[in-house]
Amino acid sequence: MKSGIQTRLLLTTTLVLGISLTLAGLVLDRSVRLSTLSGAEEQLRLVIYSMMGAVETSGPDVRVPEPLPEPRLGQPESGLYAWISDRQNRLRWRAPSAVTGDVSGPAPGPELQPGEFRFASEPTSGDGLLWLSYAVIWEDPEETVLTFHVATDWTPFRATIASFRRNLYVGVALVTLLFVLAQMIAVRWGLRPLRTMAQEVREMEEGRRQRLSDAYPSELTGLAENLDRFVAHEERSRARYRKAMEDLAHSLKTPLAVVRNAMERIPDDPRALLEEQLDRMQSTVTHQLSRASVSGPVIVGRPVDVALLVERLLRALGTAYRDRNVAVETDLPGPFEVRGDERDLMEMLGNLLENAYKYTRSRVRVTGAVEESLVIRVDDDGPGIPPEVRRAVLDRGTRADEVQSGQGIGLSVVAELVALYHGRLRIEESPLGGARLVLELPGALRRDG
Amino acid sequence: MRILIVEDEVELQRQLREKLKSGGFVVDTAADGEEGLYYGNEYDYEAAVIDLGLPKMGGIDLIRNLRGGDRRFPILILTARGHWQDKVEGLEAGADDYLTKPFQMEELQARLNALVRRAAGYASPVMSSGPIALDTAKKELRLNDDPVELTAYEYRVLEYLMLNPGRVVSKTELTDHLYEQDFERDSNVIEVFVGRLRKKLDPFNPIRTVRGQGYRFTEQAGEGSG
Repeated sequence: MKSGIQTRLLLTTTLVLGISLTLAGLVLDRSVRLSTLSGAEEQLRLVIYSMMGAVETSGPDVRVPEPLPEPRLGQPESGLYAWISDRQNRLRWRAPSAVTGDVSGPAPGPELQPGEFRFASEPTSGDGLLWLSYAVIWEDPEETVLTFHVATDWTPFRATIASFRRNLYVGVALVTLLFVLAQMIAVRWGLRPLRTMAQEVREMEEGRRQRLSDAYPSELTGLAENLDRFVAHEERSRARYRKAMEDLAHSLKTPLAVVRNAMERIPDDPRALLEEQLDRMQSTVTHQLSRASVSGPVIVGRPVDVALLVERLLRALGTAYRDRNVAVETDLPGPFEVRGDERDLMEMLGNLLENAYKYTRSRVRVTGAVEESLVIRVDDDGPGIPPEVRRAVLDRGTRADEVQSGQGIGLSVVAELVALYHGRLRIEESPLGGARLVLELPGALRRDG
Repeated sequence: MRILIVEDEVELQRQLREKLKSGGFVVDTAADGEEGLYYGNEYDYEAAVIDLGLPKMGGIDLIRNLRGGDRRFPILILTARGHWQDKVEGLEAGADDYLTKPFQMEELQARLNALVRRAAGYASPVMSSGPIALDTAKKELRLNDDPVELTAYEYRVLEYLMLNPGRVVSKTELTDHLYEQDFERDSNVIEVFVGRLRKKLDPFNPIRTVRGQGYRFTEQAGEGSG
């Protein structure tokens, strides 16, 4: 089965949304990290500038007098540390905050040219510090080159980044969820007319509706109108065809009756031949017309109440076969319905029941069950149909010129009709002693309650 | 017996009329539903044959109208289409039997005879009353199982009287049901037929004269009683 439109739309948007929001998240994460780092670098640069303003040199002696330009430099393990080294990488001063604890001095790096900054943008693994170093030519007689090193604890920055990241992920997830939800609602809302249409088409199939409603969005009105037109056209052409068949039946059968009656005056010799030919014509016309007027399974049709049809037919047959004094039992548990053309069903059932009336001695029983198909059994207590001729009785209609009028001609018509409905007709032995005809028709309508 | 035929196909109508006439029926014909309704309401029939595909007023409507007007004679419908829908609707409208075109005339006659007999309350084709047995299929009279020769008119008189047992049948009514409309009506002829019939039925005397009114067929008790 192909995935539904709803699934397709949802899958696509979720995928696109997921990828774009993840990318946006990554970019955001990276830029926040960079801006945090450059903020830290800026802080450190300011500390170096303030130290340069305060530092005093006298010969080899380098010191930063109290009060220190940055109070945190005076507190041990405050997270802000400073060192001053000379060209030979000898440490000339260190801030009180860096005196105690595990803070090691500046790592020896490549020599800095005077006026050059170096920022270690990754915290060095051991101490978790961010370093900024700056080399400067001191304006004293010796033109000493001093390198200022400042380091700050990375931890608070990392915490900022981490908390931002957390917020970012939660935000992205929430936004994704929101978008998917909105998308689902939009898709359902957008596809609702299609679902409505499917429902209405189903109602038309079941005959509870004549045409589609007008309340469709502009994109679907064309389709709805075409569907309506198609259904109406189908019904019209079915009616037209039926009418043509009936006219044909009338205009063939009445002359046949006239000819047959007129033949009585013809001498025996040609009459026998003529009658034989007339019989063939008659049965062919009868058979073919009854076949041709069948509409077969219908696209659009209301359910036919089979129990009611059987009841009407039995009453009619009871009138026509009054002399037979047939005792009839029926057991058709309601609702006993099938989708189809009422006339077709009447032809099938009428022929089946009349067959039973013709051959029964005294009893006819009609029972039914709604299973996968609609099953109807017609039992009689007549002579029955021997197994070896059952197939022939049902197949008689396969070649028109083999059709003989008389016994069981109705059954082959029923068999053909039933085949058109994708059903089955079987002949069995009846517990009443005669024949049992079993009719199975798909499309039984089950109703709960 | 008087029969009404409503059939629009001229040739078939003619054949039906001739065949039924030669079978001993008195036949009226109508070519459309309205004419059929007029005849059906105006005259008294033993049975009617009605084609379903009629101009002006369809066969089903005709039957409904006749039944609605309390006309009770049996009706046999003829249908060219042969659909069960038509047969069931016809029977539901009040018809008693159906025949699909094309049909055999013998079949039609047999069905008509059965309908008429059934309407008169006889269950088998042999109408019997005590020792008198009138076989409507073979058109034979038997008295205590001995065959008795009857002329066509004698048969028709006895058949009509036996179809209306216990009821007084006037000579005019008998004439109506025995002759075509335009036939010269002479009640003396009826008296002659009845007189001959009585002789042939002797020693039984089922046909009683009701003075000034007509004749009555009285039901005969079991074998041998007079």
